[in-house]
Amino acid sequence: MSDLLQLVFSGLAQGAVYGLIALGFVAIFAVREIVNLAQGEYAALAGLSAISAVTAGVPLLPAVVLVVPMVVMVAVLIERLCIAPIRKMTPLLSIILTLGISTALKAIMLLIWGPQARGLPAFPGRDIVLAGVSIRSQELWILGISAVVGAAVVWAYEHTLLGKAMRACAEQPVAARLVGISPRMATMIAFGVAGFVGAVAGLVGSPIYFSSWDYGLGLGLKGFVAATLGGLVSLRVALFGGLLLGVLENLVAGYIDTGYRDAVAFLVLLLVLLVRPQGLVLKASAARV
Amino acid sequence: MAVLALSGCAESVSPADKGGGGSTEGPIKIGAVLDITGAGASLGVPERQTLEMLAKQVNAAGGINGRQITLLIEDNQSTEDGAARAASKLLQTEKVSILLGASRTGPSLAMRPIAEQAKIPMISLAANEKIVHGSKWVFKSAQNDKVVIENIVDDMAAKGYHNIAIARDASGFGEGIPEMFTDVGKAAKINVVSVEKFAPDATLFTAQMVNVRKAKPDAVVIWGIPPAASLAQVAYRQLGIKAPVYQSHGIGNQVFLDTAGASANGLLASLGRMLVADQLPANDPQNKVVTQFIKDYKAAYGQSPSTFAGHAYDGFTIAVNALKQAGTDPNKLRDAIEGVSNWPGISGVFTMTPEDHSGLTKDALVMVTVDNGKWKLVPAAG
Repeated sequence: MSDLLQLVFSGLAQGAVYGLIALGFVAIFAVREIVNLAQGEYAALAGLSAISAVTAGVPLLPAVVLVVPMVVMVAVLIERLCIAPIRKMTPLLSIILTLGISTALKAIMLLIWGPQARGLPAFPGRDIVLAGVSIRSQELWILGISAVVGAAVVWAYEHTLLGKAMRACAEQPVAARLVGISPRMATMIAFGVAGFVGAVAGLVGSPIYFSSWDYGLGLGLKGFVAATLGGLVSLRVALFGGLLLGVLENLVAGYIDTGYRDAVAFLVLLLVLLVRPQGLVLKASAARV
Repeated sequence: MAVLALSGCAESVSPADKGGGGSTEGPIKIGAVLDITGAGASLGVPERQTLEMLAKQVNAAGGINGRQITLLIEDNQSTEDGAARAASKLLQTEKVSILLGASRTGPSLAMRPIAEQAKIPMISLAANEKIVHGSKWVFKSAQNDKVVIENIVDDMAAKGYHNIAIARDASGFGEGIPEMFTDVGKAAKINVVSVEKFAPDATLFTAQMVNVRKAKPDAVVIWGIPPAASLAQVAYRQLGIKAPVYQSHGIGNQVFLDTAGASANGLLASLGRMLVADQLPANDPQNKVVTQFIKDYKAAYGQSPSTFAGHAYDGFTIAVNALKQAGTDPNKLRDAIEGVSNWPGISGVFTMTPEDHSGLTKDALVMVTVDNGKWKLVPAAG
């Protein structure tokens, strides 16, 4: 029993990181039909930058706090330079474009930080053992911070005027523009949000899962799978999809074979695309978010 | 990426044009294929640094019998197909006289048939015995897995451990390891009761360690390279497993100590003498070469070399010595490498024979533990 709980718990922590990445996919796709494959790179960039700052002597908290706006700026800058100039954006074009951005970012990270994986120091706290389940304080940080950030993003998209305006751009771009909402501005903000959740994911995860130049692609794919569970438009389902995927992976690794761990995500993706391409919970015509 | 890979493979050169610089003038080309990026980066990077440093040294000292060395290093991105492609390029386009690499077993195995077909000697820097088993042209400078396992089994037998669990790398480096433990441990009544696998780029090890804990072993072996081996070590400590843990010779670098942190304290690993060079007796045959190498490496890169840097040193130096002695004729060069006898290198004292192309016995290894981020020599058990 404690084995099962152990697997579920450490799967939840990993899943929360997937969930944040999934949130980044949805944050953009719910505003404009862009699949941003560079989503995982924000996490790698944040982790590596923070490690450099800490190595240079900056204390952990300021390092983490400084890195988040930096990554947000990178995300926005990428949107300005590579996404905004495209007049007729289609999902396919966005995939090709962001795959290119992802590859470029990886190459830059490899040049700056070299090929070796490293981890941030763990956030303060003590590891505990509860009912036979060993819990690392960092895992609690991951779950806590993901919950707060996830709730904040969901609230911002569903309950603030800005969030509603941004979603309006996706549903009725022309009408949105007629009533004074700028789709260009909305896309830029959406990329900022994606950069933010990506950075948080990279920072909270780095002490346990490490950061390296090539870590973003795999993470991004897992996040993408979690996001497809919500048809790429539901923030809540994306978050829970991440948790579900993390736990499922760990159970498969524990009870069947660790070799199948990475196959889980793609089996889930196949199933979703074959059975319910519109996502698990939405009807095809349902409102976005 | 797939397209690139395909076109790369199709680029084969006609068989009549068999590689190998048999020429007797001009620079001597030495090719190396290393795991510089990807899962093997913690091995490939120090190996590249070592090769570059040594090539500079040899050239500054007048080269090999007056001929300068041209060192060509290729990154295989820690993949088998990357290694095969890079080896073909070095042998067929660049026509290197000798091939070094790869850093890990899988890519080395992928290079083996290419070197054999070109009839050019190759010195792998990886561990698994399969790389050289029965080969005429392929040698290697890292200790055989089997030798490491013999060393670990001796230690287990002396301490009376019988049931062991193994968490192994799922790639070539860990392939066949549990079987070898069963085989070597038979006399000491050592049984492998549980085997878990992890991908070399895995990040989460709870599942494997939960299963290891469930098996209730007397001792646990983690067989991998950092960062995976470090993450496994951390997860092992996190789950509060009391059984002692043995790590392989795959962890002999600072990266392991940095990434495993305090969880590395008290582990046992079977490693070459270089990591504990400062604790070696003065009359140790390797003392002089190891001390000099550490000094040079520190001067060049500001940090201590890893055991992998040592594998590169041994591979490169064996190659250079053989080139000095036999020139670049592939057959003579091969014979010269096979003739290496009682040569003190970084990983041990090498003696190659036609049957043994790795040249090291378990005497090349010592038991090492970690104490607060430092390697410590453990006196032999029993």
